[in-house]
Amino acid sequence: MGLAMAGEPVTPQEWSQCLSAVATHQDRAAFARLFEYFAPRVKTFMRRSGADDAAAEELAQETLLMVWRKAAQFDPATAGAGAWIFTIARNLRVDALRRERGVSARAGDIDAEFLIDGAPTPDAVLAGQQADARVRAALKELSAEQKRVIELSFYQERAHGDIAAVLGIPLGTVKSRLRLAMSKLRILLDDLS
Amino acid sequence: MSIQHHPSEELLTAFAAGTLDRGQHIAAATHLGHCPACRGWVKSVENVGGAVLAELPPAPMAPDALSRIAPRLAEAPHQSASRRDGDSLPDVPGLPAFVRALPAEPWVWVAPSLHVRRIELGGTSPTRVFLLKSGPGTKLLPHTHTGFELTCVLTGSFTHDNRRYAVGDFDMGTPEDEHEIEIGTDEACISLVAMQGTLRLKGVFGRLLQPLISF
Ligand SMILES: [Zn+2]
Repeated sequence: MGLAMAGEPVTPQEWSQCLSAVATHQDRAAFARLFEYFAPRVKTFMRRSGADDAAAEELAQETLLMVWRKAAQFDPATAGAGAWIFTIARNLRVDALRRERGVSARAGDIDAEFLIDGAPTPDAVLAGQQADARVRAALKELSAEQKRVIELSFYQERAHGDIAAVLGIPLGTVKSRLRLAMSKLRILLDDLS
Repeated sequence: MSIQHHPSEELLTAFAAGTLDRGQHIAAATHLGHCPACRGWVKSVENVGGAVLAELPPAPMAPDALSRIAPRLAEAPHQSASRRDGDSLPDVPGLPAFVRALPAEPWVWVAPSLHVRRIELGGTSPTRVFLLKSGPGTKLLPHTHTGFELTCVLTGSFTHDNRRYAVGDFDMGTPEDEHEIEIGTDEACISLVAMQGTLRLKGVFGRLLQPLISF
């Protein structure tokens, strides 16, 4: 508590350290720091995905609760901390959407659906923190608009429509810009490897 | 043998973002199980997701948000590990484990040398998922469909518009295509298909068969 909680952990290294502390000795101060940083951002992610304020808040809490419970599964050698937390939020969002549509899912179902068996990818996948750094470097090369459009690809179609309306451009334009931005990103990521 | 035909970057991005409908998700996951290159791209998109998430503007949480979940931190995690997933498709290779655990109907004959086996998604997914088994050398009737059709080869091979699709290859059919497909002569071809809309067969014979394939 106290000083340790004073600042938000802002670098991927700090997030990884906090996750390790949670995994190895259920460090609540480290968890509190992750919560302070990520819960409000996961909430924004859920809001932009179409959840109302109360649902977004609950999904953010559930996401961080899963971070606490699954911290031991986090492997800094294969995933960046931000990416790992993103996949937890993503899976909870898929689960929430499915329940909304009346499809019952058992605990762990969605996680299983994203678990792809198969040998690890060859040189394409970098160790977690390295990958984080490379992706951040690639994103810096994109224009603000391209970054915005890439952010859109993480939301459902209906949210695309909403944001197309906000930006005042047709949905088709959002999609073609997204395609361009993703191709550019792919080239950048390949160059950096 | 290496994979020649991959899903589009868009489809893989949507997979990693978690925005595909369940049927499309199953088709993409089946290819990913065969394809290290596409798994690499999905990983990259997840890393981008992490970077995007970390840079989002924060939305204020309730002041007691953290203290409200504090009591739950002491709970032991729910163990769902004891559940045993069945394998409803032990005779079909190359499917992800979660697809095997879904209930599947038995093979149904639809035409000479052609069988289908429906996989139950148990919901209101707009996409139907089924396995298609065709005998070696079968020529499928020319057909079009009203929605997209995603196909991943599990055994054998087929040729579509002079392109050969073998195990792991992914074919993205769009409504505009007219599909004329010929199965490789070496062995039976089993594919996983995720389809939206309906299939339309061409010609008089096709119209006769239509009721049989509208399963
Ligand atoms: Zn591939």
